[in-house]
Amino acid sequence: MFDTALSANDLVFLAKGAGITIVVTAISVVIGTILGIIFGVIRVQLGAVLSAPLTLFLDIFRSVPLLIQLVLANAFVGMVLQLQLSGFFVACMVLSLYTSAYCAEIVRGGIDAVPTVTRRAARSLGMSWGQDMRYIVMPLATRVALPSWIGLALGVMKDSALVYVVQVTELLKSTQILITRLQEPLFLLLICGAFYFIISFPLARFGGYLEKRWSND
Amino acid sequence: MKKYTLTALLLAAAGFAGTAAQADKLDDIISSGKLRCAVVLDFPPMGMRDENNEPIGFDVDYCNDLAAALGVEAEIVETPFPERIPALMSNRVDVGVASTSDTLERAKTVGFSIPYFAFEMVVTAAEGTDITSFESMKGHTVGAVAGTYEAIALEEYVNEWGDGSEFRPYQTQADVFLALAQGQLDATVSTSTVAQANVKSGNFGGIEVVASAPFDIDYVGLFAKRDEYGFLNYLDLFVNQQIRTGRYDELYEKWVGGDVPSLTVPGAYR
Repeated sequence: MFDTALSANDLVFLAKGAGITIVVTAISVVIGTILGIIFGVIRVQLGAVLSAPLTLFLDIFRSVPLLIQLVLANAFVGMVLQLQLSGFFVACMVLSLYTSAYCAEIVRGGIDAVPTVTRRAARSLGMSWGQDMRYIVMPLATRVALPSWIGLALGVMKDSALVYVVQVTELLKSTQILITRLQEPLFLLLICGAFYFIISFPLARFGGYLEKRWSND
Repeated sequence: MKKYTLTALLLAAAGFAGTAAQADKLDDIISSGKLRCAVVLDFPPMGMRDENNEPIGFDVDYCNDLAAALGVEAEIVETPFPERIPALMSNRVDVGVASTSDTLERAKTVGFSIPYFAFEMVVTAAEGTDITSFESMKGHTVGAVAGTYEAIALEEYVNEWGDGSEFRPYQTQADVFLALAQGQLDATVSTSTVAQANVKSGNFGGIEVVASAPFDIDYVGLFAKRDEYGFLNYLDLFVNQQIRTGRYDELYEKWVGGDVPSLTVPGAYR
């Protein structure tokens, strides 16, 4: 009853695509989070007026659709800078900045959620700014920010499907290549969806586990 | 801060542009050791993928030949039809080997080589009919895919012929060949590559390509940046050499089959 031309070879091809999706997501989330923490702290420390240029810069990354960012960045690198960077590099660069823009907001929200009185108490005990950030703000803010951060990481993983426009053959593009060849769109998209689920489920569960563990202390 | 970054980038860009103007594209390709070709991979038999999902097809082989002639490695960059020219303009590819019709409109943006392939319209007839040429379809039931260029042209001919001739439109190319194999149609007109692929597929018995149709031939050329004269010149000679050495016939037989279309326009140079 159920007949498909999909071979084991094609499943390996899809798995390779899934591998690219994981690598692009991992690189972008790690770099994006580090940059996001730096940007978020700068925004809180400098205040609204002084950090306005940074806010504008991050707002651009948050409001322009990712697809357009990728196409424009790729064209800019090729036409204006005349550099022959790989699509993979451009994809990671754009996706990292995109992640950092969202992450900065999450970090800012987390820091703002730490009561001012708690921080003042820390400083009156003689803690330096660094100690206050390290021992008071970070543990409290992380608990607040974690669920949003997990959501961001999962979102970036799915958004990474757009990097096909810069010639990166990730999971969705691999699926499209197979659809063109085998003409079985629904079945192949079902498999593609299953792959995405297998990748994101552990991350979602890990987030849930951390949340639970941290709330019981 | 943003302003300074932008200024720095523009300065850097000016610097790069200055150095890039020294060597031309042909030198760049040879020194980089890599030729990046834009190829459409959902357009069999010109570009498609094999069971290992590796690119194959007439255009893929043509790109490999060009790279071999230049003594560099070929890199196939998959580009959908509308992305072919943008990929070249944004410097993601060096040359388009992508079955691109050499229209004057496109030539305002990119530079074309002489034609390296031609899509002819051919007549495919059911065996057992007396159809041997385009004109002998007169008085027969013919069909094509509704709305296509060849269907519109064929219907005009049928109306002119009258005399028992009938035209039937179909939704897809597969429907047309199925109707032909089942005897509902006596003949059809389609692109040579499509006709040969369907005859070869063996899904439709008792049909064969009998003649070419007197419709406009779709000539396609290689394309590169229009100001890269050295490279465009090389491409022209390369296409000429492919034909001279018999490689064009060989590739046509391998991927399409049947009569090899002429790439010259009667009564005109180039």
